[in-house]
Amino acid sequence: MCAAHVSRRNFLMGTAAGALGMAVSSCSTVDLTAQEAGGDLLSRIRDRGEVNIGIANEAPYGFVDRAGRITGEAPELARIVFQRLGVERMNPRITDFGALIPALQVGVFDVIAAGMFVTPARCEQILFSDPEYQAPESLMVPKGNPKGIRTLDDIVARKDIRVGLLTGSANISYATDLGLMDRAVIFDSVFSGLDGILANRADAFSLTAISLRDALSKRPDAPLELTPTYVPVIGGKRKLGCGAFGFRRDQRIFRDAFNVELNLMRANGELLSTVRPFGFTESEMTTLTATELCTDTSS
Amino acid sequence: MTWDWGYAWETLPQLLDGLGVTVLATLAGTAIALVLGLIFTVLRRSSSRWIAIPTEILVEFIRSTPLLVQLFVLFFVLPQAGIELSAFMTGVIGLGLHYATYTSEVYRSGIEGVPAGQWEAAKALNLPARRVWTSVILPQAVPPSIPALGNYAIAMFKETPQLTVITVMELLSVARQLGAENYRYLEPVTIIGVLFLALSLPTAWLVRRMERRLVPAPRPV
Repeated sequence: MCAAHVSRRNFLMGTAAGALGMAVSSCSTVDLTAQEAGGDLLSRIRDRGEVNIGIANEAPYGFVDRAGRITGEAPELARIVFQRLGVERMNPRITDFGALIPALQVGVFDVIAAGMFVTPARCEQILFSDPEYQAPESLMVPKGNPKGIRTLDDIVARKDIRVGLLTGSANISYATDLGLMDRAVIFDSVFSGLDGILANRADAFSLTAISLRDALSKRPDAPLELTPTYVPVIGGKRKLGCGAFGFRRDQRIFRDAFNVELNLMRANGELLSTVRPFGFTESEMTTLTATELCTDTSS
Repeated sequence: MTWDWGYAWETLPQLLDGLGVTVLATLAGTAIALVLGLIFTVLRRSSSRWIAIPTEILVEFIRSTPLLVQLFVLFFVLPQAGIELSAFMTGVIGLGLHYATYTSEVYRSGIEGVPAGQWEAAKALNLPARRVWTSVILPQAVPPSIPALGNYAIAMFKETPQLTVITVMELLSVARQLGAENYRYLEPVTIIGVLFLALSLPTAWLVRRMERRLVPAPRPV
């Protein structure tokens, strides 16, 4: 019964965080057989004619726009993939980013469409599709790049350069490992970082190219530019985040079917043309697979 | 959520660095507020309208707008006017300027508490204006003001977390950074609460002690 569909009772238990373990364990015997079979969620979604997708309301990954329409790189890709899988309707379920995985597991929605990075730890919780994008780094600098900075490594060599970082971003740990923190200026939002460069509070603002491009697109008059994208190498390891769609662990058939359509779109260029309006470019396209990313310990 | 002592211990050195910045910003900000507040008060009482009225407007303007907004303007706008101060200096000036308007009010009430006869006597002795202030009025006006000034110093101490918006790595910034890095806010945020308490309580006690010593008991006339 549990694997067939999530009952209202289990749903409510699942949303109460403390009861999460109970909801999952009460299903465990059924789940195991379902896992062997690969799950039947896809056929159930086809029967229903609608799929529920989980988003975290974060631009440009998955968000509700000013017209109240659900959009972003992941929902737009999902819309096309699901149409091809024979599912016409897509209902958004908005939740905190941190709650996406638990909510997926208890059946609040059927798939995570939030550009979530594939990490080995998350792979133990859920299945991932192959990534739809990779997230190389860039630096935001004044127009003309007067100090000629291209990468974090350039900043290591130049003691006079102050590097702007976003609080809580992966860049903080990169800068820590590179010994840059005594010259770091920590901003509390992407836009205060942008204004910080304009006000000469820092010489360069280091973040993923996707986030910087998104910020700059909202302030097109700012005399700033982005350096070409690059993949930082910290302690001999390449640091490259890759975002993908997430599925319940017992729904391998559903994930595989989604992957087939997504990889067709990747091959014929449709993937890039779909995500380009959200600030993604050729440098964000990747051929890495979920299997590689789940076993990879370098990022 | 359970308390993790290992993590708490690990974050402590960085939090203590943040505490140093917080304390330094408070001390420097208080020094500015004490001196500038007195200057504001004296200028507001100037016999020249051309000095008194603009000072009054400036003080009311600063006192009636939020510190956060003032910090933003000082941090992001001043450099575009060619005035470049470090984030820390900007923060100290912001705190000092903001609180100078409050201390100015404290001094004013202290001065108004000096009996009119003192002014008249100074005038009768034909003392120059500078000596009236330094030898007669201020020695009587400032001591009773000290407790209230001390309270503003404590208030400023607790407001230093606002400097986080202008990239000063004071206590709250460090705690937020640690929380975001480790996905655990409970320990660093609790520790900074304890650190604030540990410094505020003795300061409050000191202020109360000074109050008892400095404010003379009313004397029979």
